[in-house]
Amino acid sequence: MTDYGHDIDLRSVVRGAAFAPSLVLLTALIVIWAATGAGYFWPMWVALGLAIPTGLWLAVRWAWRRPRGATRRYAMQASISVVLVVTAVLVWAMSGGGFFWPVFPFVGLSVALALNPVFLRPGQRKLQNRVDELTRTRSGALNVQASELRRIERDLHDGAQARLVALSMQLGRAEERLADHPDSAALVRQAREEATAAIRELRDLARGIAPPVLADRGLVAAVEALAGRSTANVEVVGHLAHRLPPVVETAAYFVVAESLTNVVKHAPGARARVTLSQDGAMLVVEVADNGPGGADVTASGLTGLKQRVEALDGRLEVHSVAREGTVVWAVLPCE
Amino acid sequence: MRVVVVEDSALLREGIVALLAENGIEVVAHAEDGPGLLRIVDGHKPDLAICDVRLPPTFTDEGIRAALEARRRHPGLAILILSAYVEPVYTGELLAAGDSGIGYLLKERVSEVRTFVDSVKRVAAGGTALDREVVSTLIADRNRSGNRAELEALTPRERETLELIAQGRTNAAIAREMVVTLGAVEKHVSNVFAKLELPAGEDDHRRVLAVLAFLRATGGQ
Repeated sequence: MTDYGHDIDLRSVVRGAAFAPSLVLLTALIVIWAATGAGYFWPMWVALGLAIPTGLWLAVRWAWRRPRGATRRYAMQASISVVLVVTAVLVWAMSGGGFFWPVFPFVGLSVALALNPVFLRPGQRKLQNRVDELTRTRSGALNVQASELRRIERDLHDGAQARLVALSMQLGRAEERLADHPDSAALVRQAREEATAAIRELRDLARGIAPPVLADRGLVAAVEALAGRSTANVEVVGHLAHRLPPVVETAAYFVVAESLTNVVKHAPGARARVTLSQDGAMLVVEVADNGPGGADVTASGLTGLKQRVEALDGRLEVHSVAREGTVVWAVLPCE
Repeated sequence: MRVVVVEDSALLREGIVALLAENGIEVVAHAEDGPGLLRIVDGHKPDLAICDVRLPPTFTDEGIRAALEARRRHPGLAILILSAYVEPVYTGELLAAGDSGIGYLLKERVSEVRTFVDSVKRVAAGGTALDREVVSTLIADRNRSGNRAELEALTPRERETLELIAQGRTNAAIAREMVVTLGAVEKHVSNVFAKLELPAGEDDHRRVLAVLAFLRATGGQ
């Protein structure tokens, strides 16, 4: 899983904190070198000194984007090894060449890298495989469950509900013909009202699974409908290239629905902005408002959402700063 | 009156055709899906299409899309949607399609035979028939928008009258539903229009539009 928080931090550190002062320093040194007769190009050693930490930052950042666990640890080892070998080669080249001694660290680090999987305890490897398998089958099971629920909803509509409607219609027609027999007509009317009540209960059941517009038109349309019906001033920014798995659509829908309910409840009069975007295989949902902030992040509604999102290997975070508003942010893998 | 019925469940389709026939309304053709609706509308030039929302092959909102397309091709065509649920997005799209000959009813309303037949006749004649649940959604939206003052000024009886007007009922039908005299209904109606500051119209259809415009003005789809 991509770690968005660290990604952004590292990028700003590398770009802002490391690059700018380094470039200023290097330029200054080159000016001094030129002013002092431009002999041996010694500023290159300073450049190397500055390049090593930057290289290490980039290596760590690259490795951090790998999936958590064994893969990430292995990527970390590999990327740092590469930086060390490149450093050794540069030092060799800058110190005038000669015997190619960097071959030793290269061979050493390569052997360590190659031996890593061998020395990984067999139990641990088995465990890793098991975790991978469970992750895969769990998301499969959740997807199957979500599609099954939609199928049940459809079957309710086409099967039981259609029959009940036909039944109540026949009872209605019978009632019309019994105009001369008020007692029988009253009995038939009661039966018709029972059938109607059953239809209503089936409808409520089906709606609890997911609102029809979500199944029919997809996430963006359903969220726009939510925004349109909310009393808060809501702006929706989102375009998704294609439909997402039902389980992801439903979870994202309920994240937005609950967050907008909270905006209306706790931040009346605030403006809210819902952003739906896809970053690779991730759906990013963000609901931000400019209300009073200071939300209780342990509230049961938010905890329920968090569980729902985490069951899909997603992440949900709530940032609520007093007087600055609240942001509910969720990332859901959608593959 | 020429009516076509589009419904994929044979049981329901046959039932609706029989029910309408018993009440003197002729169903000239029926179909089972969206393309079928467009075909029979082109061929039979009906006054009214009664149409289910979920139709094959997608079983999503095929019926709404097909009905709106049929209406675009034949602007005089009245549409009565029968649906298993109230979805504000769809009722909004339907109401946006024009201001005459529009209906959206929950399917189970077909069992209230007399009211249903009234609705069919009214929509075919260019009137409106909105399910009471559609109307209560509109009122709930209007209430949530914080603009409650005008609606709260209504007495319970006037509020009930407002809802029945929004459903498209005539004064006679409102009197029957509320079990009051025609005179009492007229009094409620004029109070509602005065309190909501709407132009009072003699025409049944115009007053429905005025009330719907009021309800949809803030909130609502």
